[in-house]
Amino acid sequence: MKNRSYNIKAMLIATLLSVLMVVLVFYGSRELQNFDAALVTYLFGTVFAFFGIVYRYTVWLQRPPTWIYFKRGVGFLFTGKIFSHFCFAVKESVENIAFQKFIYPRGKYRWLAHFMIAVGCTSAFLITIPLTFGWVHFTMAPNSISVYEAHFFGFKVMDFDLDSIMAFLTFHALNWSSYMVIFGAGYYLRRRLTNPGLIATQTFESDLLPLILLIAISVTGLGLTYSYEFMKGLAFDFLAVLHAVTVILFLIWIPFGKFFHIIQRPAQIAAHIYHKVGKQQGMAVCEHTGEEFTTNLHIKDLKKLTKKLGFDFDREDGTSHLDLSPEGKRSRLAQAHLRARQDGGNLFG
Amino acid sequence: MKYSGFNPNEEFFVDMQRCIGCKACEMACAECETNGQEPMIHVNYVDRASTVQTTVQVCMHCEDPVCANVCPADAISKDEFGIVHTANTERCIGCSNCVMACPFGVPKKEENYDLMMKCTMCYDRTSVGKKPMCATVCPSGALFYGTKDEIQEMRPNSTPVNTFIFGKETVNTKVNIMMPKGSSELVIF
Amino acid sequence: MAKLPVSEEHIVAQFGPHLNYSPQEGYEGRDEPDQLVKTHCCFCGMQCGIQLSVKENKVVGFEPWMEFPFNEGRLCPKGVQRYLQNNHPDRLLSPLKRVEGQGFVPTSWDEAMTKTVREIQRIQKEYGNDAFAMLSGVSLTNEKSYLVGKFARVALKTKNLDYNGRLCMVSAGAGNKKAFGLDRGSNNYSDLEYAEVIIVAGANISETFPTLTHWIWKARDRGAKLIVIDPRMIPLARTADIHLNVRPGTDSALYGAMLKYLVDHDMLDHDFIDNHTSGFQETIDSVKDYTLEWAEEVTGIDQEKIRMAAELWGKANTSFLLHARGIEHHSKGVDNVLGCINLVLATGRIGKPYCGYATITGQGNGQGGREHGHKCDQLPGNRDIENPEHRKYISEVWGIDEKDLPGKGLSAYEIIEAIHRGEIKGLLSICFNPLVSLPNSNYVREALEKLEYYVCIDFFLNETARHADIVLAGSLQEEEEGTTTSAEGRVIRIRQAVTPPGDARTDTSIILELAKRLGVRTKFDFESSEAIFNELRVASKGGTADYNGITYKKVEDNMGVFWPCPTEDHPGTPRLWEDRKFKTPDGKAHFNPAPYKLPGEVTCVDYPVILTTGRVVSQYLSGTQTRRIGKLVDQFPEPLLEIHPVLAQKYGIKQRELIHVSTRRGEGIFPANIVETIREDTVFIPYHWSGKKSANQLTIGTLDPISKIPEFKVCACQLKPLGEIAPPSKESKAYASV
Repeated sequence: MKNRSYNIKAMLIATLLSVLMVVLVFYGSRELQNFDAALVTYLFGTVFAFFGIVYRYTVWLQRPPTWIYFKRGVGFLFTGKIFSHFCFAVKESVENIAFQKFIYPRGKYRWLAHFMIAVGCTSAFLITIPLTFGWVHFTMAPNSISVYEAHFFGFKVMDFDLDSIMAFLTFHALNWSSYMVIFGAGYYLRRRLTNPGLIATQTFESDLLPLILLIAISVTGLGLTYSYEFMKGLAFDFLAVLHAVTVILFLIWIPFGKFFHIIQRPAQIAAHIYHKVGKQQGMAVCEHTGEEFTTNLHIKDLKKLTKKLGFDFDREDGTSHLDLSPEGKRSRLAQAHLRARQDGGNLFG
Repeated sequence: MKYSGFNPNEEFFVDMQRCIGCKACEMACAECETNGQEPMIHVNYVDRASTVQTTVQVCMHCEDPVCANVCPADAISKDEFGIVHTANTERCIGCSNCVMACPFGVPKKEENYDLMMKCTMCYDRTSVGKKPMCATVCPSGALFYGTKDEIQEMRPNSTPVNTFIFGKETVNTKVNIMMPKGSSELVIF
Repeated sequence: MAKLPVSEEHIVAQFGPHLNYSPQEGYEGRDEPDQLVKTHCCFCGMQCGIQLSVKENKVVGFEPWMEFPFNEGRLCPKGVQRYLQNNHPDRLLSPLKRVEGQGFVPTSWDEAMTKTVREIQRIQKEYGNDAFAMLSGVSLTNEKSYLVGKFARVALKTKNLDYNGRLCMVSAGAGNKKAFGLDRGSNNYSDLEYAEVIIVAGANISETFPTLTHWIWKARDRGAKLIVIDPRMIPLARTADIHLNVRPGTDSALYGAMLKYLVDHDMLDHDFIDNHTSGFQETIDSVKDYTLEWAEEVTGIDQEKIRMAAELWGKANTSFLLHARGIEHHSKGVDNVLGCINLVLATGRIGKPYCGYATITGQGNGQGGREHGHKCDQLPGNRDIENPEHRKYISEVWGIDEKDLPGKGLSAYEIIEAIHRGEIKGLLSICFNPLVSLPNSNYVREALEKLEYYVCIDFFLNETARHADIVLAGSLQEEEEGTTTSAEGRVIRIRQAVTPPGDARTDTSIILELAKRLGVRTKFDFESSEAIFNELRVASKGGTADYNGITYKKVEDNMGVFWPCPTEDHPGTPRLWEDRKFKTPDGKAHFNPAPYKLPGEVTCVDYPVILTTGRVVSQYLSGTQTRRIGKLVDQFPEPLLEIHPVLAQKYGIKQRELIHVSTRRGEGIFPANIVETIREDTVFIPYHWSGKKSANQLTIGTLDPISKIPEFKVCACQLKPLGEIAPPSKESKAYASV
């Protein structure tokens, strides 16, 4: 029952936000004046992906453990020293979201490859989504044959000369993104095909397919460029269809597969804030080892959370098994085992 | 996943009273391909000031894993063989909910990776029919991986138990602990 | 010239110890090795089977070797990490020469060899042949051990050759020879399986021979009772049926009292005693006053526990007694061993299934290495260098005149003393790090500084080698073919997995080259390790350690052959004495009186606490190899002083407080680890570390009169708490202490 009501809630939110987005597309493109009809399939894909993401995100947030971090995270952000909390959040976002620094210790090439994929994807999204939505479009400046103007939401934001570096960079931005994604995803694909630990635990649809899709999108995208620049449009239509198919597959896949982690990642910052604030409120000391092991807040929340999820680790005296550090828990188990063995009369056998 | 070689008849049997604290398992665990050079098994003194007792803890692979339940990021999953897998690297947000909630004290937060890691019963080895590294090298038999018949024959006066009582909570696991013959559960408190 | 050329810190910075860790995801190629080489661990006497993964002439990992019968894949942490000694940044890649003020600089093989030979000849011409000594070690294979023995006697023509087995199991060897006329564990370990009672005396099996634990636990699964004799509650003792926490240095009193109990309660095998032994009466006469009360007084063990132990031992049908350095590292190490053997002989439980007795040899090839003649008083086949017949036979095998074969030389510690006296001027060492492993290290250092010429063969620049004039870059265990003999007496194959890196050479080729340059080429014309082994077989033929019937192929086909194996169709001898034909002159097993004597140094007002030393599970001997492997160092980063809370309280010592420990010989500072698992009158320090962190700054050089083993396990010390808590262990950098 509970689950279904959650789903309805999520459905409502997702539908509302998707409608809102369509409305924004309508007005952002100046009532479809600036809308590029050739991109309509992409628009449908994007709207669907958006719907899916919001839906899944909402479902996810409603899970009790997730909700705690969301609630606490947002709550702490807006209480007490708001400015310093915001600074912390910004710093964390730059380090962890923009630069993904936590990957670096796992391997510097892993980090580099991931960073390339992240930058490539982000820039590609930033370019293609506004174009698809008709929010951005380019026109030739009036009375000129070499100056381009860029418009956002129908407002002119900049212009540049057709031969300028700016023009080169802008019109090839998607190519640069593609190269980065190909290198990054190629590295990961190779790793996944050769590392025995990964081979043992990965699945095709959630680990290999996303990488293949990324590479396919980038390669077909690049193919389009090469086709019209160097090969007089050879197979352009075919490539265009192929590109569209891969991109739409990718978009639809976001809410269900590996790419959802992009949307989830900010929760990491909530966890950091949670830990930071918890620390200020005091650390929990393990009754077995006598050492601090996490924050009091964390233990308090976990006790409630586990109960809510149907687990009861309370002891008769009102304390809880969760008051022990992991080492303490292991030791208590060993002591219980020793007692049981001794009561059984033989430690061996 | 490559299930082809996983032998569902082989199980894990732990008897921490046999543990001599040598940490061969810890060293060997780090040779396992699923976790790089980080050991996932835990060996620690129970209370060094009074005894040399050590304990050894692998993931018990619970039927209803608390770690997966408390994970805010859906990063922990259990497969059809009952193996509870380590955190999915792209999802885990390093919150340590699982670390603090696991009643056996198993998951480990790798601080500099901002990632939880845990024992996967040497999935790279067990999935191709080999024994986990730790149980292979363990010189004391505190860790054993094999069939129920084998352990029965080797230790006729012990019974494998996979039910653990924590007050009002009963936790059932895939991994067994060796108890005096006839036992059906281990009561922690 | 053997002073340090530059500061020790400078040498450490260049040559280590540095810590080697595997790369984050293992070495390149670990997943797809070129080959898996079935060989054995390079560390202790268990010689566990292991497969080394080799990729492009580098050892990149390991795979358990499930078929090898002793360990079936089981390993200890040292075994798991042993592959990291390969690919090590400290590895010596070329010969080095000492340059004053500069340290050690690479030199050519020709220059290193020429200088070494010139110096050997100069010293021997000036001071006599015996003024040039050689020290060796039993991490070497049988082939190298044999070669070293022959090299010293035939090429160096010196009598002064001894080895680090002197610090290992010589007491057991001497005791076994006295009692049985042969020096080998009487049984292989599978005889533990159905033993009803197991005594483990002074053997920290769970830390020093972890894989042997399996066999003891196996017996316990079948109901065996375990008696552990140790001043500390070692992991094995925690679950033991009886733990006799003996006061260090009083072992023989305990065995004497137990023997008296057996006699008083007639728990004896009279048939065996009457027909197959001698010396029984005088032996029991020597313990007639050793009552349980007296034993409690001397050993500090509750007499009821002693009684229970004696009762269990006396009534058992099958049993196994194991001992190791804990009872052997004493000025009466041989007596302690004989005390144990007396208990075994009195009950007649030997030479039968599941009835066994053995010392647990510590070093990798501690068994084989002590049989083939790199011991000061020994010739191959465990022959006696002073026995005319033995001399004659070996001289024939070696093709030399018996008169040219040197006689009995000085033992390891005596060599150090002789250097002090100026009798020995030059030294060649291989596989030995006396500055860390010998007692009284300050005294050893002074000796090294007095040498006129010191040349060392090693693969790392160990602490002693820092005093060398020339260092010859030798080989690791996995870089040469050969055999070793495990503590069980099982001869096994060591495989060459890789070749020495850079300009380093195999130990064998270095020794052969030196022999050639010393003008005895024809005596050292070996084409392979197998050729050396084949000569060893002949040399051992007819000796007590008879390898004549063992071939490489036979060893490979059977995963080991137990000596004695006199002929090629002989299957080997896993269990000795089934025929009751002992190797003593009268063919009987000998009881030997082992009356209790005081240790070389006893506590007094100034030095009121007993100090004992030992090992930890993650380190091996002087640590030349294991102090260079990151994870092994991390497991036990620094030596701690174990002290009982009662004693700690007396001195007001707090956990991890720095304690100044001093003896009549030296001093050191160690953090306290307050634990109830040690006797109240005793403190313990593990000895693997060097320099200021070395426990052997404190230990005593008193030797057993027969075995010449130093008394590492007991001396008197003084404790002074410094009122300062030690920094975290991880920051101690004790592995590279100077």
